[in-house]
Amino acid sequence: MAQADARREQLSLQGRTALVIGASGPLGQAAAVALAEAGADVAVATTTRSQKEEVAANSCANEVWALKRKGFAAAIDAASESDVEALVQRAASELGRLDVLVNAHDLPFAKPLTEIAPDEWRRVVEVNLTGVYLACRAAAGPMLSQGSGRIINVVSLLAERGMVNGAACCAVQAGVMNLTRALALEWASSGVTINAIGAGWTEGMAILSDEEARRKLERYLPGKRLAQPREIAGAAVYIASDAAEYMTGQVVWIEGGALSHV
Amino acid sequence: MPESVLDKLKLGGKIAVVTGAGRGLGRAMALALAEAGCDIIAAARTRPEIEETAELVRAKGRRSLVVPTDITDPTPVQAMVDAAIAEFGRIDILLNNAGGATAGMGKPLEEVTDEEWRLGIDTNLSGAFYCCRAAIPHMLRQGGGKIINVTSGFGLRGGRDNFMYTTAKAGLINFTRSLAMTYADRNIQANLIAPGLFPHDNPAMVEWWRGGKFVPMGRLGRDEELGPIAVFLASDLSSYMNGAILALEGGGLAGGHAPTGFAPVVPLEAEA
Repeated sequence: MAQADARREQLSLQGRTALVIGASGPLGQAAAVALAEAGADVAVATTTRSQKEEVAANSCANEVWALKRKGFAAAIDAASESDVEALVQRAASELGRLDVLVNAHDLPFAKPLTEIAPDEWRRVVEVNLTGVYLACRAAAGPMLSQGSGRIINVVSLLAERGMVNGAACCAVQAGVMNLTRALALEWASSGVTINAIGAGWTEGMAILSDEEARRKLERYLPGKRLAQPREIAGAAVYIASDAAEYMTGQVVWIEGGALSHV
Repeated sequence: MPESVLDKLKLGGKIAVVTGAGRGLGRAMALALAEAGCDIIAAARTRPEIEETAELVRAKGRRSLVVPTDITDPTPVQAMVDAAIAEFGRIDILLNNAGGATAGMGKPLEEVTDEEWRLGIDTNLSGAFYCCRAAIPHMLRQGGGKIINVTSGFGLRGGRDNFMYTTAKAGLINFTRSLAMTYADRNIQANLIAPGLFPHDNPAMVEWWRGGKFVPMGRLGRDEELGPIAVFLASDLSSYMNGAILALEGGGLAGGHAPTGFAPVVPLEAEA
């Protein structure tokens, strides 16, 4: 019993603070709520300044408050250096410190390569990849100076595999995955760990809005179903906790066996 | 004149052992090596089949030795290597191609028999071990050599009701990497070919694999596409390549998390 309590203690995020960027998307939203359920105070932000995302981020913050945790919702453009700097500073000052940063940047996009306008390509890269760099860079201040921190980057199967019409997103996702490994080495002795959660095909992903494509996908997956966002988010709690102190540079895949498929 | 890149593909005077040389991929690769200039030791269980391969090799002006060999047994493997040395004096290239997916294939794990498991692992994995163990001392004595092991996409990924083959082929991959680590400083290079689906003009296989409809390139592999990759890995052109996997499979491994043809379109959302 005492052992189980100690284990629970180790996984508890009581007294920790977290910032989730991309909490307007299904994975960021679920991660924010899971971190709050585990005891953390959680600030959330959008990926872009779209109205729809702002509404989603606000509702995510409401869920955090409903769990009696502190937090706020911010509408930002994740590709904007000043937005990201201001967001991280606000999170650190309003929540008192910054223990966990979740980068769940989620600007969905898929098109045949020849139809991707250079500006579209740049926008996707700037939001989904450069945005992660900017957030890590901003979090470096508080995390490196306190000698502890957890950065959790959420990537998808497109980080590991190609997809028709996925050129931009596959490139970006693989970029985030290896940024994770590079930064893990760079900060290996700093007390700050950087890991990724590799999410499988998950309910609510914009890419799955086509009903027929989605059914085909479900038939194809080993478990014949998509993931629920909650099933991905548990890994964020683990990585954020004391139990994962020695883990860095890893991709924790939660994909229902999809990557085992030939 | 420095040697041209094409000259480096010439394998004139090299001696190659090819297991499973009686049919399919093994025969295709044996013939390609012969075209590049190798003399071929054709090893397999069935004599008439390797006799036929040997005739095709000789028709290309190269020598060929037929050694019926059950590679699942170390004794005949040693005898095959001894025969090769007795005849040609050296072994430059060992192409471990013999294998088979069928033992236990299509059965859930609880129905796979001991015999199926052992036969499959012996054929696909232990056979390569026996052949390498017998051939490597000669390669070391000669000052180098080339080992080419044939794995599969199933060595990298799983398959439903496909246990023995995925296990053996994955084992072969790390076996090869360990060869690469061990002999890297003694001029033996060990690499892998991972062929996709090659029906060898067998209409039943073409039908079984639906003509390759589910392969991203939309077709199955052709035998003549496989030979050159063996020549490349047997040649000096691959002298710095060690422990690598060359997959020739029409693009399937690039995907494999969604069905072939899955091609969503999601425009960038207009931002307010």
